[in-house]
Amino acid sequence: MMSGRHTGEQHSHTVEGTDPQLYVEVHDPEADAGLRPILLIHGFSSSSKLNWEDSGWISALLAAGRRVIAVDLPGHGRSGAPEDMDSYSPSRIRADLLQIAFDAGARPLRAGDPSSGLDVIGYSLGSRLAWEFGATQPEIVHRIVLGGPNMADPLAEFDLVAAQRYLADGSPIADESTAGLLKMAQALPSNNIFALLSLVEAIKGEPYDPAEAVPHMPVLLVAGEKDDRAASMPRLAELAAAAGSMAEQLVLPGRNHTNAITSRAFKQAAIAFLGS
Amino acid sequence: MAEISFPLPDLGEGLIEATVLEWLVSPGEQVERNQPLVEVETTKSAVELPSPQAGKVVRIYGGPGDKINVGEPLIVFEVPDNTAGIVGTVPKEEAPKRRVRLSAVLDED
Amino acid sequence: MTGFRQAQSPDAPTPHPEAPGKRTEQLSMQQALNRALDEVLAENPKAVIFGEDCGRLGGVFRITDGLQAKHGEKRVFDTPLAESGILGMSVGLAMAGFHPIPEVQFDGFAYPAVNQIICQIARMNYRSRGTLPMPITLRVPSFGGIRAPEHHGESLEALFAHVPGLKVVSPSNPHEAYHLLKYAATRPDPVIFMEPKSRYWQKGDVDFGAADAPGAGSPAGAPTGAKVMREGRHLTLIAWGAMVSRCLQVAGLAAEDGIDVEVLDLRWIKPIDADALVASVRKTRRAVVVHEAPLTSGLGAEVAQLVTQGCFDTLKAPVERVTGFDVPYPSGDLEDEYIPNIDRILFGIQRVLEYKRG
Repeated sequence: MMSGRHTGEQHSHTVEGTDPQLYVEVHDPEADAGLRPILLIHGFSSSSKLNWEDSGWISALLAAGRRVIAVDLPGHGRSGAPEDMDSYSPSRIRADLLQIAFDAGARPLRAGDPSSGLDVIGYSLGSRLAWEFGATQPEIVHRIVLGGPNMADPLAEFDLVAAQRYLADGSPIADESTAGLLKMAQALPSNNIFALLSLVEAIKGEPYDPAEAVPHMPVLLVAGEKDDRAASMPRLAELAAAAGSMAEQLVLPGRNHTNAITSRAFKQAAIAFLGS
Repeated sequence: MAEISFPLPDLGEGLIEATVLEWLVSPGEQVERNQPLVEVETTKSAVELPSPQAGKVVRIYGGPGDKINVGEPLIVFEVPDNTAGIVGTVPKEEAPKRRVRLSAVLDED
Repeated sequence: MTGFRQAQSPDAPTPHPEAPGKRTEQLSMQQALNRALDEVLAENPKAVIFGEDCGRLGGVFRITDGLQAKHGEKRVFDTPLAESGILGMSVGLAMAGFHPIPEVQFDGFAYPAVNQIICQIARMNYRSRGTLPMPITLRVPSFGGIRAPEHHGESLEALFAHVPGLKVVSPSNPHEAYHLLKYAATRPDPVIFMEPKSRYWQKGDVDFGAADAPGAGSPAGAPTGAKVMREGRHLTLIAWGAMVSRCLQVAGLAAEDGIDVEVLDLRWIKPIDADALVASVRKTRRAVVVHEAPLTSGLGAEVAQLVTQGCFDTLKAPVERVTGFDVPYPSGDLEDEYIPNIDRILFGIQRVLEYKRG
């Protein structure tokens, strides 16, 4: 249900001198709860539509009175697929997200003002970006929710050479994780496969190290019971707790990395966590 | 009252089936249009299906883990007869009202 | 009436499958039409049903509800939103030996298909010297009365009745709907079947063993011609489709004033049952014809001529017409002003009763 107004557009505010060509949708609720906006960051090979709209997240958040900012990552969904490698680096994407959040009206946290700041929900690759975004933007980020999170980014282990060879002449890919990720990326005809490989390459250049920068705001970690990619979630929680953050964990019975996203329990927990 | 069956819709991308993850409504429940009905998973993603209409849920098909083919029944709603059409409204059956009276001298010639 | 008989198939109609003891059932017109189509599909392996939303959805008015699930996607299927294509495909199917039962979703959507209906379907049998008959039953939810937007309330009977080669019929209640559709769907000729959409939800007894049911073995043996729905001595109200039930209401009110009104349901608009018209008006000596379509060149003119021709010497007044107006069919909120209402019909009757020979 797309209740309320929403606007969608290709983001055109240049960051570091170039246009990131990112597609942004801002959804306004019919009845605004007066709380800060929520930024949604989708996973690898997904999109705002698949990850957040079709799964019922946007309608659930709107029904809870929350303002929603949804962005398609570079090479995904309705965003552009820039030629340069730098557009795909996690640090550049975080800079773009900050600009987008500001353009959509998010403002630094002010004590006693529940409409100030920004909440962030990320899934899979999006949870990595949300963790780093929270850690590096403490002045604006209020709380974060991480879905299907992992200590290590599986994309860092991705065998790019094998993938490129497979795409060129069909040579089989030995590494199971690489083969699986590529199959997932190819499943959607809307994906720009070469842009996705650029993203993988850029991630390899900036591998994920959650211990390097730990967010200091409250964190909710959510994963399916059968999500192998999120097996290290408790260690992320320990990291956050060791840094003095409040870290809650939620395990969704019977769910895996693909189907945890639609879970009502996930949505309700996130709405409650971000509403407090 | 009339029953309207809603089949599993075409989920795009050439998908022909979906697996039920969790029903969000149950028989006997009154649902509104666009209210989330069920979570289903395809080979490509998990989606939440919104209700195409308002009505009372009569039956749901498939429990968690069951596969349903596109076009097969997913849910049956009970709706008032007068919403069974898609365009227009059902005319009300009213007792005939008149303002005109007839008067005539009928010669039976 | 006689012309109609000649067009009948020589094949004996199939006996009705209903079990004895369950000969009458109360159904809505929707259910009655659905039942008829279900039986036609079961009895004739060459019958196929198609149209916009006819298949999976079961039709916007639920007339084909459940038929695809029961008879399969090859016999009940959805088409693109292209009426010319729906009727063009019907031509090809009929040539290949099928009995197509297409649906045009609303009356106003028949206009894009008029080329196929008039230029091909109506004259293929004639053009091919009888080697390519067109056994096509075109169902068209017709007339107004449901507060729908433009193109959803048209009355096309005069248009189609004017075309040689077409038959046109409209049922007035669930019983007629069941029998007329079953009969129309076994004809070797094209029939335009105009369903009065404002009466779809009306319930009524369907007598499956009716005397004029196909195969009932009655002298009529088929629901052809017109039917007297209420007998009367003073005046005949002539109508078809949705206007029949309104005329029956008017007859009830007229009786309060001492006027005994007969109501004749034409059923078949073409061929028109001139014998029944003349027989009724020879008895009552007064006639009012009622239709939703605009006045000018409407079917009421045809009825008035046939009555005048057959009853000129006994008529007490010229035949009166109570009709829609000579304007495009209005939007839903003006519908009650456009469609002949009870008072307008009573006025029409009063004009006939008051007529004085000059």
